[in-house]
Amino acid sequence: MKRILFFLFCVCISGRISAQQKPAASPWKFHSVNNVGLLEGQIGSAFQLQSANGMQYRSWFMGIGLGLDFYRYRTIPLFIDLRKEFGSGPNKFFAYADGGVNFAWLTDNQKPLYLTDDHFSAGFYTDLGLGYKIAAGRTNHLLLSLGYSLKKLKESYQGYYYLPPDNLQDKEKINYNLNRLVIKIGWEF
Amino acid sequence: MKQNAWPTSYIRYALFLTFVFTGCMKDKITKTYSISTPIFEVLTKFRETIKSQPAMDIGVAGKITVAGNYIYLSEPLKGIHVIDNSNPSSPKNVSFINIPGNEDMAISGKSLYADAYGDLVTFDISNPLDVVAKNFAANVFPDHSIYSNGPGYIGGISFNPDSVNVIIGYTTRDTTVDYDPVNNYPFYTGCPTCSFAASPSSSMAPVATVPNKTATNGSTARFSIINNFLYTVGSYSMTTFNISDPLVPAFASTVQIVGPVETIYPLKNRLFVGTNNGMYMFDVQSSPSTPSLIGQFTHIVACDPVIADENYAYVTLNDSSFCRGAVNELKIIDIKDVANPVDVMTYNLTHPIGLSKDGNHLFICDGKDGLKIYNAANVNGLQLIKQLKDAFDYDVIAQNGIAVVVASNGIYQYDYSDLTNIHLISKL
Repeated sequence: MKRILFFLFCVCISGRISAQQKPAASPWKFHSVNNVGLLEGQIGSAFQLQSANGMQYRSWFMGIGLGLDFYRYRTIPLFIDLRKEFGSGPNKFFAYADGGVNFAWLTDNQKPLYLTDDHFSAGFYTDLGLGYKIAAGRTNHLLLSLGYSLKKLKESYQGYYYLPPDNLQDKEKINYNLNRLVIKIGWEF
Repeated sequence: MKQNAWPTSYIRYALFLTFVFTGCMKDKITKTYSISTPIFEVLTKFRETIKSQPAMDIGVAGKITVAGNYIYLSEPLKGIHVIDNSNPSSPKNVSFINIPGNEDMAISGKSLYADAYGDLVTFDISNPLDVVAKNFAANVFPDHSIYSNGPGYIGGISFNPDSVNVIIGYTTRDTTVDYDPVNNYPFYTGCPTCSFAASPSSSMAPVATVPNKTATNGSTARFSIINNFLYTVGSYSMTTFNISDPLVPAFASTVQIVGPVETIYPLKNRLFVGTNNGMYMFDVQSSPSTPSLIGQFTHIVACDPVIADENYAYVTLNDSSFCRGAVNELKIIDIKDVANPVDVMTYNLTHPIGLSKDGNHLFICDGKDGLKIYNAANVNGLQLIKQLKDAFDYDVIAQNGIAVVVASNGIYQYDYSDLTNIHLISKL
């Protein structure tokens, strides 16, 4: 009898599990957000490219992004991208916040000459803004956004100064805090 | 329909805001560096410190001179170690001559000539254990001057040393200022209290076997003696002193050289000057007080010590960063016709610095690869006899079957009297 009851219990449980798995569509969806941006700052304009890939849960999206930023020094931002949509129609406003680390990848022309031990180290990166997404088909959207972007870099090098009675060596450091407005156009799918 | 009107107006606002606020976007760039403030001392007191002291452990090895049974080894900016080498198998560090700012030296008879920053100091070394400063030629090396006032030109003048202050050190503190990288190139800047032109140190030039009366200099030497004249090289010049009176050198002349100059090597009545971009040959027979240029050989920019024999000059080039060099090689140059030197052979090496030649045997300090000894009877086909990788070697003096090698961690001596059994006999 105990065996029969245990068998029925197992059948019920398995039936309940299979019933739960069948219909409900998951609220989690993969999305890819890809942007081309124009950075406007003190020294003029520069381009940026970004691609963030992650999961959308209802009106929230979170992903990991990688980019190329050509403002002043070529850098590679690696960041967490968080965005929130507003509205219920096919076209929606959204706000986004990116935060992460900015790695230097200098071009040959940007590398200083005649400096000893010149080294650029990674710094903080952030991009905050508002945008509008326009539906283009069932799963595609055109993105337009405007924001503020900050990238930080640290440069250090060995300075040599012939100052008798010692040949002074001074580890000199330059901190770059680069503030820019950024206008982006992108594609989300 | 209403929904489509919203974005259009917002895009207009966005573009307007972008236009307005772009001017507000300023980069904040700061630079952190040290401000150095000089500490002064009266010249008289400074000179009182230049004298013999008890022996000290060898720290950083610099230039080397062998005179009789003694080895004189400079420790850059500190002074000269005196080593009794009566028994090369057991050298003894017997005393230290405190000479702040010293980099180079030369010895003739019982006189030792050494720089102390901008001054040329003459010592009586009759008793190597108690060396006495006999004469100071003031500020004759203005590139290295520490005078804050007083005689400011070569040749020196009579003056009261109590009236002159010298800089003996600095106090430093860090400061951070706004920085504009477009209008300020980072090198050679950021030193607001610098009272001298900023330039890389030239103290790490490479050594050769320089026979004169009693002493032999290494190939990295910047002082050299032929007969009654002392020749010294600065970054872009060669200055001559008449030492007919051995204890009172008299300024004779200065000739300009396309530099930066690194080393000077004497051979009979010629001087071979090694610079970053070539080798210059001077004649001192016709006018020993004013050497005249008789030939030159240019090469790729690199650190460059040079030695020579009757027929060939041997130049090592290395890629040390302060010379901005890019090659590591030995060049052999035919100098039979001094006016038209000819590049004969080039040999690739690891990081060659000092070198020496004894008969047909060429000794090269090849950095971390140690000392390499070649049979150089045929310059077109040097044959490696022995490689001794005991240390990172800088310079060598090879004579009378003993090779004295200056390395990063002291002095090594090798017995090469039997070429089939070259071996280490001592380390100090």
